[in-house]
Amino acid sequence: MNVLAVVDAQTLVDAVGLGAVYALMAVGIGLVFGVLRLVNFAYGQLVMAGAYTLAFTSTWPVAGSIAACFAVVIALSLLMERAVFRPLRTSSPAVMLVTTFAVAFLLQSVALIVDVRDDTIGEPASSVAPLNQAISLAGVDVRKVTLVAVGVAIVALGLLALLLGRTTIGLQMRAAAADFRTARLLGVRADRVIAFAVVLSGILAAAVAVILTVQNPLVSPDFALKDTIVVLVGVVVGGIDRLWTATLGGFAIGFATGVINGALPTEQTVFLPSAVFALVILVLILRPAGLFARGRGALVERV
Amino acid sequence: MGTRDRAIRRETGMTARKRWNAAGIALLLAAVVVAAVGTTVGGGATKVQAPIIIGWAFDSRGNMAPFDNPALAAARIQVRAINAKGGVLGRKLQINVCDTQNNNPTRAKACARSLLGTGAHVIFTTCDVDFATPVVQEAINRGKLAVAACIGTDQMGPKRFGAKGKLAFSFGNVAQDEGSAMAEFAWRKGWRTAGIGTNTVIVYFKNVTAAFEKRFTQLGGRIVARESYATGANNVNAAVSRLNGADADVYVTSTAFGELPAFVSGLRSLGNKTPILNSWAGDGTYWNPKSPLVTEYYAVTYASVFGDDPNKAVRNLIAQLKKAGAAPATGGFVTGAAAIDGVVTAIRRAGSTDGAKLAQRLELFRRVPALGGEINFSKRFHSVFGRQYRVIKIQNGKPSYVGSVKAKVVPNI
Repeated sequence: MNVLAVVDAQTLVDAVGLGAVYALMAVGIGLVFGVLRLVNFAYGQLVMAGAYTLAFTSTWPVAGSIAACFAVVIALSLLMERAVFRPLRTSSPAVMLVTTFAVAFLLQSVALIVDVRDDTIGEPASSVAPLNQAISLAGVDVRKVTLVAVGVAIVALGLLALLLGRTTIGLQMRAAAADFRTARLLGVRADRVIAFAVVLSGILAAAVAVILTVQNPLVSPDFALKDTIVVLVGVVVGGIDRLWTATLGGFAIGFATGVINGALPTEQTVFLPSAVFALVILVLILRPAGLFARGRGALVERV
Repeated sequence: MGTRDRAIRRETGMTARKRWNAAGIALLLAAVVVAAVGTTVGGGATKVQAPIIIGWAFDSRGNMAPFDNPALAAARIQVRAINAKGGVLGRKLQINVCDTQNNNPTRAKACARSLLGTGAHVIFTTCDVDFATPVVQEAINRGKLAVAACIGTDQMGPKRFGAKGKLAFSFGNVAQDEGSAMAEFAWRKGWRTAGIGTNTVIVYFKNVTAAFEKRFTQLGGRIVARESYATGANNVNAAVSRLNGADADVYVTSTAFGELPAFVSGLRSLGNKTPILNSWAGDGTYWNPKSPLVTEYYAVTYASVFGDDPNKAVRNLIAQLKKAGAAPATGGFVTGAAAIDGVVTAIRRAGSTDGAKLAQRLELFRRVPALGGEINFSKRFHSVFGRQYRVIKIQNGKPSYVGSVKAKVVPNI
């Protein structure tokens, strides 16, 4: 049965919006993985920190609030890299992954302690709420934030392609991703390259925070947590070894989530995660190197 | 005779002395007895005056803190008021607390053991039945009454905990009652069609909307759309998009967390002005987005925290909480005080703090007055039904009490 035949245009539009946001998150995760070989489970907490910043500065002018969001997330990204990732750079991937779990839970717990002081959980952020309004196209409500998410994802990917292909730092990042040790021997400054990748990843996390709070204005300690888990899965499904396959994986899992949600009977969406992850398992069995990877286990550039 | 008389006098004198001695001894004995009795009485009185200890395992800083802290604060005020009037059965009430630290199961169990170890007669626990389970089990396994201030499902009782669950009660409203009351309100407002958005993440949310549908259709209403979403599944916006396409007099949901503002602002951002009706989960204004302003939004709750509750005792309690720096964010705080009232009534009626006797009395509660409204329990429902709900309306970001409503039936769902 053609799944797309049972979903309406509205569902497809909403699915594209979700896919675009997940694609942005996938780029951020993929960038750090490419350079550090690190699956950063704490990426969602960067988004959460940005969202809380938007909430706590919601009385500020919108531009100021968004600027603060970017500043906080970038600073936190760098702090995370300096205090946690750098000392563990030579550790095994498993150790680094577990460490990111620890960082994630630490940040979440800190957020909970701060948030619950007023005996409520959740702080409203509405700095760019007008983006939640819709424009009607052929009877379909397209929220402005969907267009923004798609636009930001395309622009971000385009800029990244330019950066990686046309700049020295981009070349160094690609070299570090291909073979970190050799790149260092050839004079690539590891700290600089990694810091740059982390900053870029932080910028994308901040952008995601701004976009997510438009439709989900109540920020809580688990904000973006489940999204991060889904995107991490999407990145693996797409092919974590390459930035564009990881990004496509992020988009695909977001889009698939939206479409399956629309295809399920309206009272049965409780089975959405089961359906999505069943599909993920199927894809990984059929395409273990990644849905968008060229051939099985092909040697490819990692960013 | 002289000798005899002397003898008699001597004897008489001796008798008199003996009498005095006997009287003295009697007095002494009496004094000893009185002292002993006095001590006994005193000891008895000391025993009688030994406090009834309520052991309260609560979450001070974790996910359940928004529910546990206000309930505990209200309970403390109520205990002070009851103690000021002489206490219960001549004994003062005393609350001993233990922080479960975000309902860590190991910590929660240790809390229960610790509280029981210090002589707690009744154990109070957190407002979620899953989180409460370690504490409840420790209490009921030792024959103690386990009470939650505001668990809102029918799980707090035998349904969840088996035979020993007879000792478990909640002073929260059972979801079926709440959904039914929402249907009564919708019908009274003249709304005849409803679109339902069910958050499937917890039983309470699902039971509320299921009960609403059951009662609303019993009353003659029609459901024109049914959508579901789940906290964390990132599908609330899709549900909103589809509900927006359904022409209904009211949209009904039961939700809190991030999905609540997403649901409300999602519909309003699409230009949809249809009234939205939520359960107690949607009480308060802490979640209100700054833009667009929340409007045409209704929620049923235990009490209005906006200074206009119809019950003077509730308003006074809120004033005291504010004075104590614990201003409540939602009406749920009332359950803490109501639970104290209910347990006190059960102790008075049972003449005991024995768990089984208290449970037996609680099951017989019919229209028992407590702060904020009447309490009913039954063998089937160990959570409250038949309580009078306050309806709060938020219009242009401003909340106010707009009336009360009571469920006429508790539907089977």
